[in-house]
Amino acid sequence: MKTYTFHVSGTHCPSCKIFIEDALNEQAGIMQTIVDLKNETVSLETSLDESQHKLAEMLTEKIKHNGYSLSVEKNTKEKNDQGIIWQALPVGLGFLVLFFLLQKSGILNLGIGGQITPVTSFVIGLIASVSSCLAIVGGLVLSLSAKISQDNTSDTKTFTLFHAGRLISFALLGGVLGAVGNVIGINFTLATILGLFASLVMILLGLNLVGVFVKSKVALPARLFNFFRRIEHKTLTPLVLGFATFFLPCGFTQSMQFSALSSGSFVSGLIIMLVFALGTLPMLVLLSFGSASFAHGKHAPLFFKSAGVVVIGLGLFALLAGLAGLGIINPLFSI
Amino acid sequence: MNRIASIVITIALAISIGIVFFGQSNNSPDSAGTQSAKNVEIRDGIQYVTINARGGYSPKISTAQANIPTKLIVKTNGTYDCSAALIIRSIGYQKVLSQTGEEVIDLGTPQAGALQGLCSMGMYNFNINFD
Repeated sequence: MKTYTFHVSGTHCPSCKIFIEDALNEQAGIMQTIVDLKNETVSLETSLDESQHKLAEMLTEKIKHNGYSLSVEKNTKEKNDQGIIWQALPVGLGFLVLFFLLQKSGILNLGIGGQITPVTSFVIGLIASVSSCLAIVGGLVLSLSAKISQDNTSDTKTFTLFHAGRLISFALLGGVLGAVGNVIGINFTLATILGLFASLVMILLGLNLVGVFVKSKVALPARLFNFFRRIEHKTLTPLVLGFATFFLPCGFTQSMQFSALSSGSFVSGLIIMLVFALGTLPMLVLLSFGSASFAHGKHAPLFFKSAGVVVIGLGLFALLAGLAGLGIINPLFSI
Repeated sequence: MNRIASIVITIALAISIGIVFFGQSNNSPDSAGTQSAKNVEIRDGIQYVTINARGGYSPKISTAQANIPTKLIVKTNGTYDCSAALIIRSIGYQKVLSQTGEEVIDLGTPQAGALQGLCSMGMYNFNINFD
């Protein structure tokens, strides 16, 4: 009977400890597995005669589907990470430059005159999905998707639920706006505060994805952390989150909500908002399912770090704009 | 990829983001100076300041006279982006403007100073300086 200690990567949650211990103990010849989350080590007793390196490989095979891996030396992965961040920075910044140039170019400011028809609201949805609204809604989708894909292999269901929740909420709440008419106003301040919250989540997730401080990984606050766990594992949470995107600040969404408000009936409000949401769908689906396919591909580390850079940039943009919108700081920029 | 090359590209990209965000503030005083003459007019003792809202506000900086009854006219023309969702904090104004039309906002008789309008997300703004 020998005792070995391995370094483990991918442990980001308290439940990982239980999972890894159970998974490894199932293996014949392995017992007394103990995961030390703080030091990111796994110690175990084994009756097998394999070398430590061989064991690490063999056991990694068992748990790698869930994103964990065992190694004998700790620093190999970190060395890679250091190199990847220098590739991820230009990639991420490149996307940010393209995005802001697109905003500044004025291509997206084409005027659409006349009555709102389903076709125009679809087109407006398409434009909105690549506009500055992408900074908040798209940034949030990208950061959550990347995080979920990083942690979880069965992400498709979560994403589908999220998008379904988004479509349902736009249709239902659009209908309600149409039916209620001018009685309720759309509260900007509430939307802006939600947007600030979203931008903080994005920055935190972005830092986490980049893994800026590899040693002391930016740990998510416990509450927020539990919240993500629930997103990943429950059916209701992604639905609710999709639902909540209706209230995120986005000029296009707000003017469509206004159109729904003045449309005068439940059905017409419903159609306007549903079609608008359908217009935004392709881009958002691309972001979430795109992250999933990258996350499971061989460029996954580069993808996560680049996505982190993009998300931090968009988060900062949304944060500064939101603070300016609330009148807390002077607008620093005007794109 | 070579690390030094990456660092160079990173710095170049960071600089171009800076140019995208702050570049315009260098030349805007000139363009605003020429535009502001046209968008402020006084008719029958009331000063009208006109701002176009679509994909941002223009002109971004206007100069008007203080201590005259003033109305702000915000023109929209097929505007669906954020600039239709207008906030003017100093007078407690917030409204989603109709997609095409003119919104007349009574500013009362402004004191000397600046008035700032923003879109709800905060990334478009305009200033009117009363002096």
